[in-house]
Amino acid sequence: MAGQKKLTVVISQHQGKNPVKRQLEEELAMAFMIDPEIEVSIVPNLYDLSHDHTGMLFLQGIRGDVVVLSWLFPRATQWILDRTGVKGKAGTVFLVGEDDEEEEDQDEAAEKNPEAIGTLDVPDRLIYSIDLRASTDPQEFLAEIRRISEVTSTETVDLMSWIQGEPKKEQLERYLNPQEVFGIGSSQTGSIAEVEAEEKVSRRWYPVIDYDRCTNCMECIDFCLFGVYGVDALDRILVEAQDSCKKGCPACSRVCPENAIVFPQHKTPAIAGAAGEVAGLKIDLSQLFGGGDAVEMAARERDIELVRDGRDAVGLAIGIPKRQANTCGVRDDLDDLIDGLDDLDL
Amino acid sequence: MAEDLVFMMGKYEARVPTDCLYSKSHLWLRKDGLRYQVGFTAYSVRLLQDVYFLDWSVDAGVQVFEKQEIGEVESSKALSTLYAPFDGRIVEFNELLLDDPSGINADGYGNGWLFTLETDAEPLTPEQYLEVLEGGWQKTQNMLKGQVN
Repeated sequence: MAGQKKLTVVISQHQGKNPVKRQLEEELAMAFMIDPEIEVSIVPNLYDLSHDHTGMLFLQGIRGDVVVLSWLFPRATQWILDRTGVKGKAGTVFLVGEDDEEEEDQDEAAEKNPEAIGTLDVPDRLIYSIDLRASTDPQEFLAEIRRISEVTSTETVDLMSWIQGEPKKEQLERYLNPQEVFGIGSSQTGSIAEVEAEEKVSRRWYPVIDYDRCTNCMECIDFCLFGVYGVDALDRILVEAQDSCKKGCPACSRVCPENAIVFPQHKTPAIAGAAGEVAGLKIDLSQLFGGGDAVEMAARERDIELVRDGRDAVGLAIGIPKRQANTCGVRDDLDDLIDGLDDLDL
Repeated sequence: MAEDLVFMMGKYEARVPTDCLYSKSHLWLRKDGLRYQVGFTAYSVRLLQDVYFLDWSVDAGVQVFEKQEIGEVESSKALSTLYAPFDGRIVEFNELLLDDPSGINADGYGNGWLFTLETDAEPLTPEQYLEVLEGGWQKTQNMLKGQVN
């Protein structure tokens, strides 16, 4: 059975034309192309793709397990995809930045806030998000993807043993490679589907919600005065008007009490969606030492955008959370966290 | 001398000596003639852990205003921009720390002082600082949690 099912690998390109990054992308694409177990496609930077961009349509058309390599934190990749309907369970990736090797918290289950509303309609397939910054050595990525390829093909065998009757080889192929329907992917061995196409992709800036953290508290919708947020039919918070967001402004992310709002291109890792990966980075204590707290900073950032729009600055007068009221509870795990700072090896 | 006040950071006892005054930005100020000697409180040091880099972006002798950026600190666990605690004039930096900032960890309320400041501001009393710590603890934990997660 192994070998019949190809693993779909999608490379999301870097926004810029940095030759080193391009080279890694190209080397990987070439290596995957000649690997009979892998079906590779290249799309422009995921974050910049509109919902109806060919690259996004292609991603939406993939039914089976998929590996997405991007220059983004895996959490950012996961939730960008989720927002456009490319859903799945997060596959476990072993290739993470070199500083994180000791991290035990890679288990995505550990990241979940028990009060989070979660995402809906998650199909039973795995999406592996790999950060292309995790290594500069293409071999490491190849090794990781071969590992994933083996894991997923093993799972397929288990799945097949469930099904009564033997599907014909072609039927199975069609079932496992439905992207052919879109005429983009090709099941030919060694093909490469370059979806870059002529469609122009410009840089975008908008928030991405991590529903494994979001508790639907609505503070973001109250705070943002640019109409970016909305709710869906089930009254769940939603980034409704992505492109109404103000370029460079991460203010809503700062007011989010659960740190559930990700701006994948922000320079601060905590805002850009670093998760377990913060291991290689350091805690920024500037707020504590007088840098103004997050809410003040957010209000200032919002005012700048309001004034730029010809509107009046509102300072702290509108949409400022009054969240401290009922959060004085137990939170023992946080005490542990502080006491455990020494062990965290941050 | 009166006994130190103590703030519990989880299980860690952060000392708040009663012979100092304080700023909301977690610095202590001890009157030394016409000026104050200023340093990191035990609370700050606990969060920073081992400091191994300290850099000032302003020169000694300059006027500073509250919240003005004056330097940077980096430790094994954290980094931070440093800000002037009050309006005033920075008279002198602790030269010893520039070569080896470990004094901050070894003797934070003594030889680990950071700079001296002339100011007319009225710093917080130890009791007031303790209130600041108690009031801000939840927020600090949330902030750390947000970054560590």
